[in-house]
Amino acid sequence: MLFNSYAFIFLFLPLVLAGYFALGRVGNLAPVVWLALASLTFYALGNWQYVALLLASIAFNYAVGYLLIARGLRPKVRFAVLTVGVAGDLLVLGIFKYAGFLAANFNAVFSTGLVVHIVLPVGISFYTFTQIAFLVDAYRGRVARYALPHYALFVTYFPHLIAGPILHHRDMIPQFERAGAKRPDPHLILCGLIIFAIGLFKKTCLADGIQPLVGPVFGPGSPTFDQAWIGALAYTFQLYFDFSGYSDMAIGISLMFGIFLPLNFNSPYKATSIVDFWRRWHMTLSQFLRDYLYIPLGGNRHGPVRRYVNLVITMLLGGLWHGAAWTFVAWGALHGAYLCINHAWNRFGPEVAPRLRPAATLAGAVLTFLSVVVAWVFFRADNIDSALYVLVRMADPTRLALGRAEIFNLAFIAFYAALAWFAPNTQAIMGYDHARRAVGEGLRQAQPRPWFLYATSAVLAFGILGIQQHSEFIYFRF
Amino acid sequence: MSSIAKNLLKFLCASALILLMAAALNFAVDPLQLFRPSKLLPAVYSADTRMQDAGLIRSQEFDTAFMGTSLAIHFRQRDIDRILGGRSLKLSMTGSSSREQSFVLEAAMARHPKRVVWQLDDWIFRDTPEIDSDVYLPSGLYRRSAAGLAGYLFSGQMARESLWILARSLPPLEPAVARLTSDLVFKFPIADVDDINSLPPDYDVAGSYNARRALAAYRYITDPVRSRYLADDYNYDAMVRAFERDAIGLISKHPDVTFDIYFPPYSILQFAAARDFSPAALKTVYDFTTYAFPRLLALPNVRLYDFRAVKEVTHDLENYGDVIHHSPAIDLKVLSWLAEGKYRVEPSAPLASLEQLEAQVEAYRLER
Repeated sequence: MLFNSYAFIFLFLPLVLAGYFALGRVGNLAPVVWLALASLTFYALGNWQYVALLLASIAFNYAVGYLLIARGLRPKVRFAVLTVGVAGDLLVLGIFKYAGFLAANFNAVFSTGLVVHIVLPVGISFYTFTQIAFLVDAYRGRVARYALPHYALFVTYFPHLIAGPILHHRDMIPQFERAGAKRPDPHLILCGLIIFAIGLFKKTCLADGIQPLVGPVFGPGSPTFDQAWIGALAYTFQLYFDFSGYSDMAIGISLMFGIFLPLNFNSPYKATSIVDFWRRWHMTLSQFLRDYLYIPLGGNRHGPVRRYVNLVITMLLGGLWHGAAWTFVAWGALHGAYLCINHAWNRFGPEVAPRLRPAATLAGAVLTFLSVVVAWVFFRADNIDSALYVLVRMADPTRLALGRAEIFNLAFIAFYAALAWFAPNTQAIMGYDHARRAVGEGLRQAQPRPWFLYATSAVLAFGILGIQQHSEFIYFRF
Repeated sequence: MSSIAKNLLKFLCASALILLMAAALNFAVDPLQLFRPSKLLPAVYSADTRMQDAGLIRSQEFDTAFMGTSLAIHFRQRDIDRILGGRSLKLSMTGSSSREQSFVLEAAMARHPKRVVWQLDDWIFRDTPEIDSDVYLPSGLYRRSAAGLAGYLFSGQMARESLWILARSLPPLEPAVARLTSDLVFKFPIADVDDINSLPPDYDVAGSYNARRALAAYRYITDPVRSRYLADDYNYDAMVRAFERDAIGLISKHPDVTFDIYFPPYSILQFAAARDFSPAALKTVYDFTTYAFPRLLALPNVRLYDFRAVKEVTHDLENYGDVIHHSPAIDLKVLSWLAEGKYRVEPSAPLASLEQLEAQVEAYRLER
């Protein structure tokens, strides 16, 4: 089921909200069970054949977590249990996500005819990562024992199940346990609706609106210099508005249930360096990769060379997490290289004079943006050849179309760029503070600015009016 | 009620009001003419035929449905009517599959046409998703399902078009709005139903259809980087399944309707490219014809024409904009051949035209 569908907005969400708050009067556990069942229903409506896999994954990780938390095992046994748990998760992910990719490469190298055709279960990358984090933290002794319904809800919680944000058990489960969240709070519902509306508008009006400019460039056609740039830039903005729109919707929906989700985006195209970009783009994935991959690899604790190696490994695996294809590996490798250059520049580059800092910041922002656009070409292309073909076209200004359509499309892209660069982001508009569990303080006043209320209600209406058939989120396929 | 709860209520009511206003506007203007033919406002049309056809089927008078892909997209209804007689409605859709064509024709059957002129080729019978999973074809509009009509009425894009049509109907605004109307921004820039996807009178036909362009297209598709695409979608079993479901299924279901089916005159370059760079795809084309022609000829309401071996057209590359798309002059020839019954495939020799084509493809040598 899609957030951007009539069935979700007018049927599923109101029903689940009503049931959640109605059961909140009965007790503290019933709403949690209700929400977990609703989440499974949400998943089953589009992916019923993978519900068993999801449930098995929850049972397996909960059992391994129980052994790590509740049983007084010896250190070596604990480590073995952790290894089995993480290896089991990675094995399942590997089978469902990477078996076909491995077989194709095996065939290419050894000229064999292995055929592996496994459909990727939606959300598997996300629920596997959240549970690996749980196991690692359980091993580190940083997890209290959780009740099964709360743990199951943590994994299946429908606002995040399919495409994140990647949640952390220590952030989420205490919120599920809190009795106050089960009472309807009109303020949180209103703020949640507004954040949901902004996300829906981003998806249906902005991301879906620019999507037609992308396909022709990455197809079998032969784009000119300007057309190739239009396609690459259009995808740059489509991906941002699509995924940040989804994240906003997830945050807004969750807020209606009284649950604060972590932020996933913070105006990433305003970044002034690649390091800054990764603090703003898919923030929960960056945090996961930092805490559970980069730091365990040694982080920056073993000298600059190891640091660069660790960065590249982390980004390569981060790329591969997105999909089983060489294009994602190339994308991850590019970002690994960018990060190494960025850190090396910070270490060895010249100090910028104070009077030149604004210009240097601007240059950094432009360079960062262009580097990100180049990397997105690999992220979007069907294969490496196709990506290189588009990049070659982007580097050849001698072939220029610049007709009526191209000029119009460039103006269209300029509008999106202005929004991404100069407009405030959702959390700034709403005053959303995940750490403080605060949102929309201005709306709590007895008389909020009426224009804000009506403008945001128009955003919700336009978001609903923009709903098209079958418009999936790009990150569903990861 | 607390002030915050009141604000929540105001927020929801304001959103609902905007939604209802948009739906009322779309219902009143009805850009697709789904509910009624345009009378108060001037009728306008879109070149997006997968959407527009749903409205045309409801709003136009016709006794002949004309269906095909981009090879049948530039025909003018006036030419069809003049040469073939009757009153036609062109429903051709660029890049359409047999599943889409069959679905749209089935919707058109509700208006009881006497005749269907159907441009078929092997490529349309490729494996495609179920019609309800087809993101390009709004099946709900054809079925007039509640979800389809709600999607139309509660569409922001349609509301923008409705506002624009409304502004265009106001005399003081009309000249300015007409000047600003562009197919880049608005979906309904066409004022005459006959102009939908027809080439305008000032169109540079000679510049768009000539041997230089046809040969450039040939070089493009046979480039080693892209030549593998020549084999895309040529799966014999899938093609036969689609053919039985979409063509035979539809024709058999409507025995009172005459189906004039023709295979269009691709340039010989298309077959030469397949011969040299994708022989398996060429074999599939031949095998498919061997299967399909006798099946079609067995149906009493089918008249089958094969123009693929009309050498004076297919070997004259000046007729083509690429390796398959022919010029408007050939559109008229196609209509004349249909009117005259020329190149009709006879049940006594169902594969005669195929044998001619095979011989031509075998013999053809590209002059470089």
